[in-house]
Amino acid sequence: MNDEANMLELAKKTLEMAESTGVDQAEVLAMVTRSTRVKVYRQEVEELVSATGSGVGVRVLKGSAVGYAYTSDTSEDSLAAAARAAAAAAAVTAPDEYEGLPEPAAEFPRLDLYDEKLMQVPLADKIELAKAVERAALERDRRISQVEGATYAEGEGSVALANSLGFSRAYRETTCYAFLQAIAEQDGKMQTGVSFTTGREPSQLEGEAIGREAADRALSLLGGSQCRSMSCPVVMDPFVTAGVIGVIGGALTGESVQKKRSMFAGKEGQAVAVTAVQLIDNGIHPQGLASAPFDGEGVPSQETVLIKDGILQGFLYDAYTGRKGSRASTGNGVRGSYRSQPHVGATNLELRGGTATGDEMIASVELGFYVMDVTGIHSGVNPVSGDFSVGANGRLIRDGKLAEPVREVTIAGNLLSMLTSVITVGNDNRWVPFGGSIHAPSLLIGEMTVSGK
Amino acid sequence: MLLDERLVESLLAEALKVGGEFAEIYAERRRTDSLSLEDSRLERCSIGLDAGASVRVTKGRSISFVSTDRLDEASLREAARLAGEGVAGGGAGLKRLELASALSEHPIRIAPDSVETSAKAALLHYADRAAREAGAEVTQASVGYSDTVSEIMVANSEGCLAAEERTRVRLIARVVAAREGVMQTGYESVGAHTGMELFEASDPASVGRTAAGKAIVMLDSRPSPSGKMTVVMHHGFGGVLFHEASGHGLEADAVEKNTSVFAGRIGEQVASELVTLVDDGSIANAWGSNAFDDEGVPTRRNVLIEKGILRGFMYDRLRARNAGAEPTGNGRRQSFRHPPIPRMTNTFILAGDSTPEEIIASTERGFYAKTLAGGQVEPATGDFVFGVSEGYLIEDGEVKYPLRGATLIGNGLVALKNVDMVAGDFEFNIGVCGKDGQGVPVGSGQPTLRMVEMTVGGTEV
Repeated sequence: MNDEANMLELAKKTLEMAESTGVDQAEVLAMVTRSTRVKVYRQEVEELVSATGSGVGVRVLKGSAVGYAYTSDTSEDSLAAAARAAAAAAAVTAPDEYEGLPEPAAEFPRLDLYDEKLMQVPLADKIELAKAVERAALERDRRISQVEGATYAEGEGSVALANSLGFSRAYRETTCYAFLQAIAEQDGKMQTGVSFTTGREPSQLEGEAIGREAADRALSLLGGSQCRSMSCPVVMDPFVTAGVIGVIGGALTGESVQKKRSMFAGKEGQAVAVTAVQLIDNGIHPQGLASAPFDGEGVPSQETVLIKDGILQGFLYDAYTGRKGSRASTGNGVRGSYRSQPHVGATNLELRGGTATGDEMIASVELGFYVMDVTGIHSGVNPVSGDFSVGANGRLIRDGKLAEPVREVTIAGNLLSMLTSVITVGNDNRWVPFGGSIHAPSLLIGEMTVSGK
Repeated sequence: MLLDERLVESLLAEALKVGGEFAEIYAERRRTDSLSLEDSRLERCSIGLDAGASVRVTKGRSISFVSTDRLDEASLREAARLAGEGVAGGGAGLKRLELASALSEHPIRIAPDSVETSAKAALLHYADRAAREAGAEVTQASVGYSDTVSEIMVANSEGCLAAEERTRVRLIARVVAAREGVMQTGYESVGAHTGMELFEASDPASVGRTAAGKAIVMLDSRPSPSGKMTVVMHHGFGGVLFHEASGHGLEADAVEKNTSVFAGRIGEQVASELVTLVDDGSIANAWGSNAFDDEGVPTRRNVLIEKGILRGFMYDRLRARNAGAEPTGNGRRQSFRHPPIPRMTNTFILAGDSTPEEIIASTERGFYAKTLAGGQVEPATGDFVFGVSEGYLIEDGEVKYPLRGATLIGNGLVALKNVDMVAGDFEFNIGVCGKDGQGVPVGSGQPTLRMVEMTVGGTEV
């Protein structure tokens, strides 16, 4: 039997155990993952890590009170113990009329998330890929002193979900990525640059290209110093834009709005950005690593337009926040693993419809700041007010060209005012797998506060 | 013991069959209860079990690591075989296992599993009620509770065998206060390597009240100015800054690869003479403490910087061997699914001779950072950035009014050298430190201290 069938069987078996504890509704997620990660350093394998993980998560409802339990031990005894624990947990939580399993849908998107080639490519070739990533960076320039964490990583997994409303489905997926951090050194000072590439099987990865790119990013920051404090136009590269979109996506969930923690609360139907801004949560993008036929509670994944021509269209919902807000679930009941309950969140976020390349944006700026790296984006942004202040590295822009490197400055402002002062959205989208799965372009902002000396 | 000693010996032999210089088995069985409350309602309760093991084989600087979510013999044997095949050559022998003894104890009085879940739920309600009663401005309160009881066992081919039961309890409150369209959040947490007796010393209500107080006081805040300022760091939370800005650069993996500003500088003056920085994983029942690290090395007190002079680094076994140093009890991992790496435990700056009042009174104009929101550091350069969730302006030696939207930005080495006053009012804070995708519980602490100059990033130029 294959993994999908095995997991489905495990889910159904555990579902029966959960239902027999006397609860009103039950749901079981069962999954298995096999992952491998190779890290090379100076052309030698530094770390070869492989893991087999499996487990089940049991969610039950007693009336409208929810309880949860999980176990990585799938022996009969442990499954039964998890079923009982979930029922016991439901005895202490408060009832909530909006809780409940979603009604099973009739249709599901057909997605091709599994590529046989991932498991067919021999390990030696995958190690070679990681080495090629490192080599490409080292050979780029003499000033690249070393590469930290040149990595190839992959995962193969099957996910099954069954619930007492009759839902019973499974899917499988493969993912892989390569990553590195290049370190450039000059006059005893170091600068770092990262890059990454993602795919469903190794031949989709652009290993050498990311090696060169990370090297270039580190090199271009060498010799940086603080610039003078000023208010000026800012060009964000796609990595930085992705960080910003991740925070915005977090504020666009039904939960953030209902719990009054969103800067977008009450702004549905209003202009929250310039008309060039199109923001979509796309749970079915073929290249998006967060794509799946259904979410963590069995609702079909979909494409949800969040901001269209600058107008806020709506928010992301799972079954719970949907019911609470009298909306349908948008298939955003995401779940990290069997250890966690479904929770509303973004899948793949895309900022679409851009018209210019990063270079064209730079060329349009007389004096400004090109941001290549921000730190503290998750601690430095107030999700309620949108106020932010983050550390930044990058280059000054002078007369439409990249000029001296800048480090140790902060950029500050407000996310809402930033969205309304976007001048240009880029067409140079790329996938950024950190802080979510985000397809982000460069962005030109009219004015921001840069604090230096 | 989680695994039989004979089985462990045969697994280690299996792991070294085709090569390798060092083999290790780490097994773990962890129960976690977590509860969360929001809008005065207990929303979630989750009870979890994680059990499994991993086998690590090393040769030179190469590591082969295989984990499995199973503790049965067949799965463990397969993991040992695969891990062994990951490194070729070498061929080390096996030493007889000998049970290691710890240098510290972390006694547990009230085991979390002896307490009814409903009694745990009550703790969250106490914190919530106190937060809401703290002021009419409080609009939201969320409270999180978790306890974990983790049984671990580690054995290696050098004959080390260690086992420990680790119990941790933590309570967190996050409060939103609002007035006339302005919203601010406040955060407070308590946690320790103890049982439920934690709440005899730390009242859940005071956790809620403190978080609410922080949110309310920030309602009167004004936008923070930008530029170079003298910064006074309130005791406790500033430890996070030194954890990030100095601590990570003192971890041996960064040092070994020369991606640390401290590499090759032992014996040099790297900080102000007022700074003594210590990492100590043996402090009884502290949040970041364990009897052993996750490689079976007893935890201990390690002086990293003494009166400004760099004295030592934090090592795991592998990096210690590469450097010809002793392991320091800093080899830690998030779980059996993660390879150990050098990590901090409880890291702190020792108390000095000044008083907090003196420090503020002698500051003409400065930024008083009372609570930090977390931050990041680039170990290669030492550059860091921190959000300030509770900050104040100091003028003419007095704390004037709260400032919002501020970020502290600087460099770890520069910050350490810029310390010019240290008070005697030491305090610890708890957190979970993330590195290489692994989170481990850490404590960080410091007395109130002053740094002569640091860049404050605000919204006003």
